[in-house]
Amino acid sequence: MESVELMVNGVRREGRVEPRRTLADFLREELGLTGTHVGCEQGACGACTVLLDGEPVYACLLFAVQARGHEITTVEGLAAPGELDPVQDAFRRCHALQCGFCTPGMLLAAHGLLADDPDPDEADIRGALAGNICRCTGYQSIVAAVRLAAAERRRPAAPEGAAR
Amino acid sequence: MTGEPEEGRIGSPARRIEDPRLLTGRGRYVADLTAPHLAHAAFLRSTVPHARITVDASAARTAPGVIAVFTAADLAGTLGPVRFDASIPGMTQLVHTALADDRVRLVGDPVAMVVAESRYLAEDALELIEVRYDELPPVPDVATALDPAAPALYDVAPGNVPYHDSARYGDVDGAFRSADRVIGRTLRQHRYMAAPLETRGGLAVHEPAGGELTYHASAHAPHLMRMVLAAHLRLPPHRVRVVVPDMGGSFGSKWGITREDLLVCAAAVRTGRPVRWIEDRRENLLVGGHARDESLHLEAAVRADGTLLGLRAKLVMDIGAYSVIPMNPAFFTLALRLLIPGPYRVPAYDFEVSTVCTNKGPYVAYRGPWAVETWAREVLLDIVAGELGLAPEEIRRRNLVTPAEQPYRTAAGWRLDGTRAPATLERALELADLTRFRAEQRRARERGEVLGFGLATFIEPSPGGAEFLAMSGGGKETARVRVEPTGEVSLFTSQIPHGQGHETTLAQVVAAEFGLPYTAVRVVHGDTDATPFSMVGTGGSRAATFGSGAATRAARAVRDQVLRLAGGMLGAPADELELAGGRVYVRERPATGLSMVQLAGMVSLAPAYLPPDTPTELAATATYDGADGGFAQATHCCWVRVDPGTGQVEITRYLVVEDCGSMINPAVVEGQIRGGTAQGVGGVLYERLHYDEAARPLTGTLRDYLLPTAADVPPIEIVHLGPEPGAGPPDHRGVGEGGAICAPPAITNALSDALGTEITQQSVTPSFVLAALRKAGATLADPLDR
Amino acid sequence: MKAAPFDHHAPTSLAEVHDLLARHGPDATLIAGGQSLVPLMALRLARPRVLVDLNEVAGLAGIRDEPDAVTAGALTRQRAVERSPVVAARLPLLAAAVGRIGHPQVRNRGTVGGSLALGHPAAELPAVALALDATLVLAGIGGAEREIAAGDFYPATGGTGLRPGEVLTRVRFPVPPAGAGYGFHELGRRSRDFALAGAAVVLGRGVDGECAYARVAVLGGGPVPRRVPGVERALRGGPLDADAIAEAADGVAGEVEPVGDVQADAGYRREVLVTLVRRALSDAARRADPTH
Repeated sequence: MESVELMVNGVRREGRVEPRRTLADFLREELGLTGTHVGCEQGACGACTVLLDGEPVYACLLFAVQARGHEITTVEGLAAPGELDPVQDAFRRCHALQCGFCTPGMLLAAHGLLADDPDPDEADIRGALAGNICRCTGYQSIVAAVRLAAAERRRPAAPEGAAR
Repeated sequence: MTGEPEEGRIGSPARRIEDPRLLTGRGRYVADLTAPHLAHAAFLRSTVPHARITVDASAARTAPGVIAVFTAADLAGTLGPVRFDASIPGMTQLVHTALADDRVRLVGDPVAMVVAESRYLAEDALELIEVRYDELPPVPDVATALDPAAPALYDVAPGNVPYHDSARYGDVDGAFRSADRVIGRTLRQHRYMAAPLETRGGLAVHEPAGGELTYHASAHAPHLMRMVLAAHLRLPPHRVRVVVPDMGGSFGSKWGITREDLLVCAAAVRTGRPVRWIEDRRENLLVGGHARDESLHLEAAVRADGTLLGLRAKLVMDIGAYSVIPMNPAFFTLALRLLIPGPYRVPAYDFEVSTVCTNKGPYVAYRGPWAVETWAREVLLDIVAGELGLAPEEIRRRNLVTPAEQPYRTAAGWRLDGTRAPATLERALELADLTRFRAEQRRARERGEVLGFGLATFIEPSPGGAEFLAMSGGGKETARVRVEPTGEVSLFTSQIPHGQGHETTLAQVVAAEFGLPYTAVRVVHGDTDATPFSMVGTGGSRAATFGSGAATRAARAVRDQVLRLAGGMLGAPADELELAGGRVYVRERPATGLSMVQLAGMVSLAPAYLPPDTPTELAATATYDGADGGFAQATHCCWVRVDPGTGQVEITRYLVVEDCGSMINPAVVEGQIRGGTAQGVGGVLYERLHYDEAARPLTGTLRDYLLPTAADVPPIEIVHLGPEPGAGPPDHRGVGEGGAICAPPAITNALSDALGTEITQQSVTPSFVLAALRKAGATLADPLDR
Repeated sequence: MKAAPFDHHAPTSLAEVHDLLARHGPDATLIAGGQSLVPLMALRLARPRVLVDLNEVAGLAGIRDEPDAVTAGALTRQRAVERSPVVAARLPLLAAAVGRIGHPQVRNRGTVGGSLALGHPAAELPAVALALDATLVLAGIGGAEREIAAGDFYPATGGTGLRPGEVLTRVRFPVPPAGAGYGFHELGRRSRDFALAGAAVVLGRGVDGECAYARVAVLGGGPVPRRVPGVERALRGGPLDADAIAEAADGVAGEVEPVGDVQADAGYRREVLVTLVRRALSDAARRADPTH
């Protein structure tokens, strides 16, 4: 067993794990962060996507010991309890999820894209999300949600109290 | 978006109630559930397709972290043989043990189960189990299985055909005798699968003291599962509880009760520990449920003008090595045979079916398990049109049952009524502007570019009406509605949402009866201790039809109770009252009224002040039989561009014109259509479960089994015809299966058109396309070279 | 689907890496991005007893702009190459190819050195290294460095030029002469899939527009990453018009030995390689500037 200390969603977390435990299993089983889903354990479905130091990675292809000293963001870290961040809110408004199993990974992949490119076109979005399988939606609503979130992020903040 | 999503009236794209939970990682899927002292199961699975086996698990029993190891012999006293007491005439039951006892019938057959302190340790122990395989000749395909020299997978099914049946509707011989032409083809669907992103899984907890078993499962027929678990574990059904948490998709594949479900529960009973098993993707691809592997030989008797006189259909289904409770694939052929004519006038046809066992994964329901009728018929119609010199749209136009002809008695004897397939076709043709496309296609061809267009039209029983239901084996649905002390409402449904948004759509339906916002309705689902009994659960687009039908009827019964109670208190007859916005008032005197909160509060907390015959809760249960339900219908159009240098296919435009009556929530409807269509795209262009000639599987991960990505699925335009003016009361018809049913023929017909060749198989790969182009002797420039 | 047990070491210096390799010999496996290794470990098709993790080793990552070359440390993430303005400006072939590796999640973790050391015959980076005539720098036990040309690193007999105990530390991509043109095309079953086939091309034109030199590497052309010298010879000194390019590209079919699988048979791959080489050559010829 080895000790692991890392930042998860802005909080310092520690654990003791076998070296073979994947980051996805560590987050889910040791830290109780079950929003990171496991769909294939081969880096082929994207359900386990988290941010490692701000960049999307497959948490099934990383051992927990390799995340030592790094910062991880999971879906639970995107918004305060009871709130939705702009990407989550856009997903809701666009009906960009059905069963919800791909959704956490899809949200983090979208965050990765928008951090790089604030104004992606449809082809950019489809390409950037091609590492995340959604079996339910046919993707159109997801693409629409990412476009909506991008547009809202680009829009200058409305004055305090202004009606939308 | 239009409408009033906050209020969620019927027909508005109300935002989904389930989404805030799922968007924030607070969904609870079965793999997220835990229990004190949880143990983990893993299965040792056969590495060979067909063999006699002997198993020695002794070394694994003492491995680190191992709690128990089970072989078939170890469980003989706990778990009865797996059987499905079918009532389908002509079907032989394939009884077997949950763990393979002396024989394995496919790669992936469970041979032993390890229960350990972690999944990692369980998988370590699997490696210590010794299995001796004395191999038997493999049966990789139907042709081998039907060879008299082939071994029988089951002694009770010599010849490997556990089900054979035939049916004849109308004067088929007469139709074929009087035909100008008889045109037939053998049309082949390949093996592919639902592959939901969440695999199967369950967590079983057994309380030895009371003998109660609770099974949390990713499955959508929990009441049936409860009965099956009880029967196999020899427990009283009422002491078995099945709870379904959030579910990461199924598309029909998790309808059945599988061997692993039985085994995980048996392990909990035997070890006294809560036991969780989560199928990994390799297991899912091997044994998690395959589909679609069948061929249909279809012959059409036609007049020279394209009029269909009759059909002959001969179906052969490769069902693999096992059938999953309760849906032996034979069951799917009951609906399938009725749907062979689809929306067309077919005065006579016959139908013959054989199911065939091979050493491959079990065949299960997948999003329209009868779908081959639509694919084969729509492909054959294009071929017939081609031979008769008609346009594809014209042969359809000449044969579709028109509204004026309805109610129409089909050859099989059931009534087709209220369908508008011709209207979907005509609207699609308007939008497609084929004259312009054909000119563009010719010009493109001169430049060496390859374009194609295809269409397909179908009807989807949703639920089909009383006669269709009686003949296809449909069941009733019950719902319970209760007004809570806050004046808000709970609906108890036997529907099991796993992406369809039932927490939202059923809330919209119930809220409408009380004039409440839909957020005031809580939908309770997925617990056999809380929800009404249903054999079926979710499947076959039942939620929009049966689920909403039962919910509406239960809500109306409660509404009547509310009005009667309020009438007594307000001193006005019930028919002079209105219920709106959560308040009952006298129509002529709106100021005189009582809120639902007041009424429900009185019933709950102050019954002494109410008349003695007042019930102690405002609640009602109602059942809906689907008798007044009908069909959804659609025409799909697909435009393709083929790269002549690589055989790659690009879908350049995709259009669906559909009619599903009045929509509860159009965003949900469109999500179902797009998602189903994407699965059809996957089925034709990407997905295929490969086996070699020795029945060894070659698609073991999602790197090999190719699910379409965002970069592969085109935007899908949807046009809703909507209810006809003057139509009757709200009539919600299901759309769950249609996308996956109607997309394959639209796509393969477009590819046939592009390549100028008949395509009689559903899987179209780039190498197939390239070979077809070469065969057609096409001399094509490379557009990318300029 | 869980990996078999192993010991994990995360050394911080190359000297420590070599110590571990010396101590554990064949039991040790190096891991960098892990995007190819970890899937095999999950299936227990790879079961290293000791994993020597390069991710914490200092000085192995980074892109250096040099007078005639661009050097990338072995631990440079593919994503960093994709985003590098130096690479975009000086090695557009590398920039075009690296964006086709896997998905963003893979490129954020996957490394230049990992892909080159694995040497998958259909991978992008080995083909680009061959087309650019890159030099790989290997550090042996004791720290001695040795350089090897990409062409020698991938022997036709299979495997790589890595000897026991050696670590790939960096790769030097020579910047092609001014005026060189490049082309890169690859094809997967799905839009962004593993390549079934592909081509990476660098060529230059002489004063009359003729082909002065051409380096053509293919993806999926056989069991090892490789160039197609027959095609290169056919082009050299000749015109770069459509007919000449098509004729040269047709030669690919006789020069490669693709390996078929369930996604596509060998015949299809061979046929498509002709198309992709032709397209990559056409792009390169169009981009090549004879005035230099």
